[in-house]
Amino acid sequence: MPHDVIMPALGMAQDTGLIVSWLKQQGDAVKTGDALMEVETDKAVMEVEALADGFLVDVRAAAGDNVPVGQVIAVIAKTADATVATSKETTPEVTADQLAQVSDGQSIIMPALGMAQDTGLIVAWHKKPGDSVLADDVLLEVETDKSTMEVPAGHDGYIAALLAEAGQDVPVGDVIAVISADKPEAPVQRKAASSKANTAPVAKAIVPKTSTPAKAAPPPVPASGGKILASPKARRLALEQGLDLSRLEASGHPQPYHVSDLAVLRALPMVATGAQQIHMTDQQICAVVPTSGSVDFLAQMLDEGGIAIAATTLWSSFAAAALRDATQTDASVIVELSSLSGPVIFLADPDHARLSKQPETIEDAAPTLALRDISSSSITSMRLNTRNVPTLTIGSDGNSYKISLDFTAAQLSETEAIGLITGFAARMDDPLHHLL
Amino acid sequence: MREITLSKAVNEAIAEEMRRDEKIFLLGEDVAEAGTPFKILSGLVEEFGTDRIIDTPIAEPGFMGIAVGAAMTGSRPIVDLMFGDFLFLVMDQLCNQAAKTHYMSGGKMSAPLVLRTNLGATRRSAAQHSQSLHALVAHIPGLKVAMPSSAYEAKGLMKTAIRDNNPVVIFEDKLMYNDKAPVPEEEYLIPFGVANIKREGSDITLIATSSMVQVAEKAAEMLMADGISAEVIDPRTIVPLDEDTLLKSVKKTSRAMVIDEGHQSYGITGEIASRLTEKAFYHLDAPVVRMGAMDVPVPFSPALEDITVPTPERVADMARKLCSGEMIHAA
Repeated sequence: MPHDVIMPALGMAQDTGLIVSWLKQQGDAVKTGDALMEVETDKAVMEVEALADGFLVDVRAAAGDNVPVGQVIAVIAKTADATVATSKETTPEVTADQLAQVSDGQSIIMPALGMAQDTGLIVAWHKKPGDSVLADDVLLEVETDKSTMEVPAGHDGYIAALLAEAGQDVPVGDVIAVISADKPEAPVQRKAASSKANTAPVAKAIVPKTSTPAKAAPPPVPASGGKILASPKARRLALEQGLDLSRLEASGHPQPYHVSDLAVLRALPMVATGAQQIHMTDQQICAVVPTSGSVDFLAQMLDEGGIAIAATTLWSSFAAAALRDATQTDASVIVELSSLSGPVIFLADPDHARLSKQPETIEDAAPTLALRDISSSSITSMRLNTRNVPTLTIGSDGNSYKISLDFTAAQLSETEAIGLITGFAARMDDPLHHLL
Repeated sequence: MREITLSKAVNEAIAEEMRRDEKIFLLGEDVAEAGTPFKILSGLVEEFGTDRIIDTPIAEPGFMGIAVGAAMTGSRPIVDLMFGDFLFLVMDQLCNQAAKTHYMSGGKMSAPLVLRTNLGATRRSAAQHSQSLHALVAHIPGLKVAMPSSAYEAKGLMKTAIRDNNPVVIFEDKLMYNDKAPVPEEEYLIPFGVANIKREGSDITLIATSSMVQVAEKAAEMLMADGISAEVIDPRTIVPLDEDTLLKSVKKTSRAMVIDEGHQSYGITGEIASRLTEKAFYHLDAPVVRMGAMDVPVPFSPALEDITVPTPERVADMARKLCSGEMIHAA
């Protein structure tokens, strides 16, 4: 079966990708993992890899083209001369009828959140038809094979239609919602059963009174139910850094919010309100430190001492030490170390081991703390399904490490969690100080 | 480096180009013996004679039409329009004929002409001789529009305009003709579509045209006293517009004001502000603010006239508000 090559979403706020160059030509044999092309987003140029073996055929976009995310740009087929029926629309004309019912609006598609992702499972909608939304509002939660992520609406307006239901697995690129500029008179919610039958007209306003999604995930309740006034840049930075502007509003900090107010938000204690408590069974704290502390230290150790230390070894040690400080425990700390590629390893008390030594791994241990290194990927933060251990995730934008700590109240108290992440961030920022 | 007036810089640019290319001639009212009311062209008729420096009757539509025809048939005319306000008289010749010649002939013909005219209020010339009408022609595809902000720009942009194979309109500020600036002796040209960063800063970008560049620079000095670092950028040509330089600056500073002497409504400040908002939206920490001339016919009364145009004080006041996060228009 031919495999479609789609324009991947390499960033969360990305609508299109610019093809810088094709690294394989029409008819070339390709193997899984081969770099197919270079794609430029607003942030970086990245190589996109083949996800199947075969021959590259039916190349539909040329270098220089700016292609919408989710659009098929080529096909990997069994033979070099395979002709592929191009009738298959990947950006389906979902429901021309139906869309006509709702006022003109922005179509929201199932985003490609991962490179190898064909479909996304809608875990929960955070908005109901007819609701007003801001571009930064969480519209829905999507589960891929790796994780569950919150997808922002991307446009201001009103929910004119929800075209798929919670629990539905939707192909990447399919239209799942429509956001209109004006409040729709008859917002549409399509049931899963009718989703395949494009011709079946959807009765007007099948708006269930309780459109609570199957999986309980109540929408975040804004403190005042009102719109938060914030500059576009402040909103973008808050989104990128996992900061919730509604906490600033709840604290009574005067609006409108600008970039300078984010410092106030970062300093706010994490106090969950009743409504937030439910939403945040998965709690998260984020921190940012410059990469230079860790990078310079490792370079210095190599240059001056001839000691090569893997960054992850250093981080594991810091994570264990920070956890020990925060929880004031003498018990053994087992760190589960993982990255997006490569094996998962377990380190026992890495903070007690000598950094210059190859770390000793143990097998099949029950970890006390998980450390996930995504710093070499384009992902800067991710929110995963509940883990049974507190999880530190380290992303990077090249200049700074974005550290996030996912935990539940059962695992760490808020004080302990704040202690852990601040202790870890302080060590990352100035390794030498903490090692001496 | 020697310093010369803007007026002398324009004179030099035209003289140098006319020596270089015999196809160039200049026509307009009072351009020969009088050398224009601002004495910009003094001396040219002595060197090039009345065949190439041509005095016309007071008949703008007529001599503009002559220039367009001459340009289409191999000459390279420079039209001197005594006041920018007279643009209304030549709109058909300029916008319907010259601007469209290249397009409608499928590139087989062109109209290489330069229309040099002026803008600027506060000269006590009243409503019909004080307008800044560059937005009017910038709106028409096929016309390039240059707005020199000093003698240096006036010379370099004029020479580029004369060598362009399609119509260019140059607006000089009539209050700046006697302003001096360093201008090299040796030949130079300033390419179109390349903005000039007059002053670097990190907190707010002040984009200003023509004489408003000086206003923005003075405002930047005042802001420095308050600890606000303003970047001042002169686009130099508004068509083509060096969007890249403007966007890069705004992404750096997160704030911008666009200052221009045309009427604020439906003017170039709105156009530039809109482009910045579209293309740098997620980098903005404050609304992009336009500051143009008041939407009134320019008053003759000196007291009233002076408050219709942007001043360094008003620019600095607004910039302070934007940088402090003050909401300038309550929602």
